[in-house]
This record gives sequence, C-alpha cells and structure tokens, in this order.
Amino acid sequence: PRPRVPGATRDVQGAPRAARDPARHKTGFLIKGSVAGGAVYLVYDQELLGPSDKSQAVLQRAEEVVPPAMYQLSQYVCEQTGLKMPQLPAPPKFNFHFRDTWNSGILTVMSALSVAPSKAREYSRDGWEYLKERIK
Amino acid sequence: MSDSELGRKWDRCMADAVVKIGTGFGLGLVFSLTFFKRRMWPLAFGSGMGLGMAYSNCQHDFQAPYLLHGKYVKEQEQ
Repeated sequence: PRPRVPGATRDVQGAPRAARDPARHKTGFLIKGSVAGGAVYLVYDQELLGPSDKSQAVLQRAEEVVPPAMYQLSQYVCEQTGLKMPQLPAPPKFNFHFRDTWNSGILTVMSALSVAPSKAREYSRDGWEYLKERIK
Repeated sequence: MSDSELGRKWDRCMADAVVKIGTGFGLGLVFSLTFFKRRMWPLAFGSGMGLGMAYSNCQHDFQAPYLLHGKYVKEQEQ
C-alpha cells in the first residue's frame, strides 16, 4: 500500500475519503458552508465593506462595547476558576494631545527644514568671522 | 478644505482602512479554515481586497470635497 500523506484526500486504497463516508462528508460540508455563509452574512448585515461612514460608526460601536465585554468575561473566568487577575497600575496620564499638536509639529519641522540652508550659511559665516577675529 | 475637515477625512480613512482590512482578513481566515485547507492565500487575498477597498473610498473622499458626510448620533433615552 502507498504511504499515507498528510492532507491527502484519498486513502491508501486510492478511494476518495468522501466516498468512504458520504454522510459524514456531507455533514462536514454543511457545517463549513453554514459557518462561511454566516460570516459572509454578518459582514453584509453590518455593512463592514460599505461606505467609510458606516465603517467609522462600527469602529466607534466596537470601542464602546468591547472593553466592558472583555472586563465582564475576565470577571466571569476569575469567578469560575478561582484565579485572581493581577491588578495592573493605571497608565500615566499625559496632558499632551498628540492629535491636536500634529499639524503644528509638521509645520514647525517643515519651516525648520526650509530655513536650514540659509541658517547654516549664516552660522558658518559668523563662525568664520569669529575665527578670523581670534587669529588676528 | 479646512484643516479640521481634512483631519476628519483622514480619521475616517484610517478607521475605514482598519475595519476593511480586518474584515477581509477575518473572511479570508474563515474561508481558509473551512474550504481551503488552512492555506495562506485566502488571508492575503482578503486583506488585500480590504486594503484596496479602503484606498478607493479614501480616494473618492479626498477627490470629492463637496460631498457631505452624515454622522450617526445615538438616540438619548428620556
């Protein structure tokens, strides 16, 4: 008999696995089809691949729903298993708003880059004058 | 286009890209596990499709500055 190859769809006698147990194969196919069809329907129903407004709304809804759900799940797991979740310290709060200062940061960087050659020329001229004064 | 409107458009683009790439990856994962014997190409295909759709949406958004976008507001229960 031929050696068994992982992932092969035929057994060592050469018959397809589906032919050996058609009922099980049909059931498996139905389950897989249901799962895949359910996933496609979920995407269609929630309009995840639709306009950008709806995607943004879905993301906002997920941001509101997921953290409390995760917290409740962790509490339930702790109650059922008796484990204690380690209490992480609160993250430090910064008073720096990255999104508000991004534009002004970009403008500052670009203006600095644009004046860099003239400033470099001015500083090098000043340095050269200073050296000449010192050498005299 | 004002700075705030531009910033909102970029925010919308980033959120859209995250959702679409994630959805494409998820669908690719489901199909890879169910029909395609845990191969990698459905994941890559799904993620790529999501990225392309997000890019196309962003492009339309930036090239049509006069289109108004609605906002979804939660109803306040009284």
